[in-house]
Amino acid sequence: MTNRILTKDKKVRQLNQSFVLIIIIAGLCIIATVVNPRFLRITNIINIFQQISVLGIIASGVGMLLISGDIDISVGQQVSLIGIILAMIIQKIGGIPANAPNAWLSGWAIPMAIVVSFAVGILLGIFNGLVVIKSKASSFIITLGSATVFKGLALLISGGSSYMLFNRFATLGRGRIFSIIPIAILFLLGVVIMSHILLKYFKFGRFLYALGGNKKAAFVSGINVNKVTLTSFIMVGVFDALAALILISRVGSALATTGDAFSLDALAAAVVGGVPIIGGKGNALNIFLGVVLIGLISNALVIMNINPYLRDVAIGLLIIIAVSISAISDQRK
Amino acid sequence: MESGNILEAINLSKSYPGVQALDSVNFLLKRGEVHAIVGQNGAGKSTFIEILAGSIQPDSGSIIIDGQDYVRLDPSQSIERSIQTVHQDNQLIEELSVAENIYLYNLPQTKLGFVNISLCIRHADDLLDRLGIETRSNIKISSLTFVEKKLISIAKAFSRKAKILILDEPTASLDIEGEKILFDIIRRNAEKGLSIIYISHDLGEIFEVCDRVTVLKDGKKIAAHDVKNVEMETIVHEMIGRSSHSLYTRVLNTARIKSDEKLEIIDYSRYKVVDHVSFSVRKGEIFGIGGLVGSGRTELARIIIGLDKKDSGKLVFCGKDITPSSPYDSIKKGIGYLTENRKDDGLVVIRPIFENISMARFARDRHIPYLELKKERTTTEEIASQLQIKTPSISQLVINLSGGNQQKVVLAKWLYANSEIILFDEPTVGVDVGSKSEIYHLIDNLVQQGKIIIIISSDYLELSSVCDRVGIMRFGKLITILEGAQINEENILKNSLGVTMEDN
Ligand SMILES: Nc1ncnc2c1ncn2[C@@H]1O[C@H](COP(=O)(O)OP(=O)(O)OP(=O)(O)O)[C@@H](O)[C@H]1O
Ligand SMILES: [Mg+2]
Repeated sequence: MTNRILTKDKKVRQLNQSFVLIIIIAGLCIIATVVNPRFLRITNIINIFQQISVLGIIASGVGMLLISGDIDISVGQQVSLIGIILAMIIQKIGGIPANAPNAWLSGWAIPMAIVVSFAVGILLGIFNGLVVIKSKASSFIITLGSATVFKGLALLISGGSSYMLFNRFATLGRGRIFSIIPIAILFLLGVVIMSHILLKYFKFGRFLYALGGNKKAAFVSGINVNKVTLTSFIMVGVFDALAALILISRVGSALATTGDAFSLDALAAAVVGGVPIIGGKGNALNIFLGVVLIGLISNALVIMNINPYLRDVAIGLLIIIAVSISAISDQRK
Repeated sequence: MESGNILEAINLSKSYPGVQALDSVNFLLKRGEVHAIVGQNGAGKSTFIEILAGSIQPDSGSIIIDGQDYVRLDPSQSIERSIQTVHQDNQLIEELSVAENIYLYNLPQTKLGFVNISLCIRHADDLLDRLGIETRSNIKISSLTFVEKKLISIAKAFSRKAKILILDEPTASLDIEGEKILFDIIRRNAEKGLSIIYISHDLGEIFEVCDRVTVLKDGKKIAAHDVKNVEMETIVHEMIGRSSHSLYTRVLNTARIKSDEKLEIIDYSRYKVVDHVSFSVRKGEIFGIGGLVGSGRTELARIIIGLDKKDSGKLVFCGKDITPSSPYDSIKKGIGYLTENRKDDGLVVIRPIFENISMARFARDRHIPYLELKKERTTTEEIASQLQIKTPSISQLVINLSGGNQQKVVLAKWLYANSEIILFDEPTVGVDVGSKSEIYHLIDNLVQQGKIIIIISSDYLELSSVCDRVGIMRFGKLITILEGAQINEENILKNSLGVTMEDN
């Protein structure tokens, strides 16, 4: 058989996807640099990556879930809810500096906040996952509902007020190694690489593609589809917890709505990064490029002194363009 | 009317990356003739007729319809020139009624602009009556059997003016009754002057209903014959380059069948579809299940592996209860099920070939969480070439394969899964004669290794030449089990239809 001859062809197609993204990113960079040379400064570049680290972590999780054919549009509200719980723990147990907090107890505030954050992330993932599996309803509708539930919970427990960290727990979000590389970027890269490895070299990743491509076929082939789905929702929750820790640490305070905007941005990044909304295709590196593109648009608009409200218009158009391109190229086959 | 030629294709070519699907093919269709196109999987048959239907554009060549020249057709032109196509895959909309599906392109409307459903149903029922199809047109497609769906697809082609009817493997997994209706329709309409292009892997059918036959091989036209003046032998030789003597005949080896180690299927039932079915299969044995479509064969397989709920039933292997509760549980216990409809639940078509082949194996070896990509590549490549899957690379997406080659991918998946017990449901639908014998050898190898194989099939030749025993199902019951000399096509057919031997 002529089996081995054309092993390249699929790689070429995948590269194309990355290639298009890289071209757009490069183009945007060039325009921004021409308008304002400060754009290319190393500090600004690092700045961009620091800004996208939270989005990148959330999008990696949602992107993998999307590959499996499910969707979670409650991620922003998960980040908000975890964030507010986290800030409340640090403020309430750590105490307010003016009130001379109990030193012994306040030492426990941060470790406890971290553990609780991940625990809540896992719980939210289990909640979404179980409801989707048991109800057999579309995950879009379910997580639309749970987004509202999580938002309500965040408002309920915070009473609508904001919570401060008083400069405690700032290292994760603001710290830099050798005073150059933000710690948050390392977490972002770690998550992207981990996602890549998971998708490419682990059965779990392979099963995500199978579920997204044809869930019935995956089921009949003996894949435990419910377990895969539940695991991916939990994974999303864990990533959201990590994102919330970095976000709140950077901002230094939390509101019940701090993370809400991430729901759509993360989905946008995954879709722009080439994951079709019905799943079955896509990869971690392209999702990351989608994140970079979205981060870049925000930054470039600011640095070019263009009305930042244009950001949403630009990102919206980008989604429409990305989806149309992939739909058209699918028809060409 | 002058020349008697209604359609002519001149030097049609079409290539895909790494594949020359059609290579300067010439073709002539006369008025009122039934013209068969035969060839191995991936020979270019579907590509050829899709070009006529307008859904694929050729790279070069031209098409002459009734004296008019075309470099390419689009679907609406094709329909306008009265070419009607029944595709290899069912393209009906499951949630709509039969009538709505038939008239989807032009639903009759009431004065207010609503769909005039009663008129639509009346037209559709008339059409179905005229064609001799008993299905009523007010029911949803989703509640039809596979055979009924196929017949509805054919009826749909007749709902518009047709001078040329194209049928791409219409009899694949059709049972004897469906086939009879189809052949009736073909004969009656050909007499009235309809020209038919007929694709099939069953050469027997071609000798039954066709006037001419064109043979394709690797995208090239090899020959065209009048069916009257040609031997089946010649056609097989032209198709696969060797004679049919070397095709499959199984040597029964009773010695390897160990009667003490067996799989017992005990009292399987599901209300209205499967009626208290029990039988047992010994290690090293191939057990066939025949019967008409809808007789409960597929349903039996589905409740055995836990895909559908059952009212009763127990699976016992070597004395141990292994009744699975789900496909996931089945594969854990070493039971595999190749489903009858590859597009529905057999394949993930937007993924590469090798991922599809390794899927069930990976689901089974749960204790290894990571992938061994190199090993996966070499082993799946090996099985793909054993099954003669025609593709430039196993990284090719399954959707780009020809129908028969897609079926081989599903087979490869279950051969690779290494289950102890395998249920095959219509395993060789759409597979060409040459590859079939290869597949039977592979299945035979499996039983030699002591596996247990159950084959559900509408292909009587397959049942009679491959199986050690053949059970026949009718109305949900297992009515008889044929053994040894009793196993022949005629017996299987009679029992499936409920004609008992005493009647003869
Ligand atoms: N979209 C596509 N991309 C790449 N290759 C394709 C595509 N469509 C068809 N081919 C290739 O073209 C060749 C001819 O395919 P075609 O479907 O015409 O075969 P066929 O004779 O109908 O086979 P079968 O009996 O299996 O249905 C095959 O090798 C197939 O893999
Ligand atoms: Mg075909």
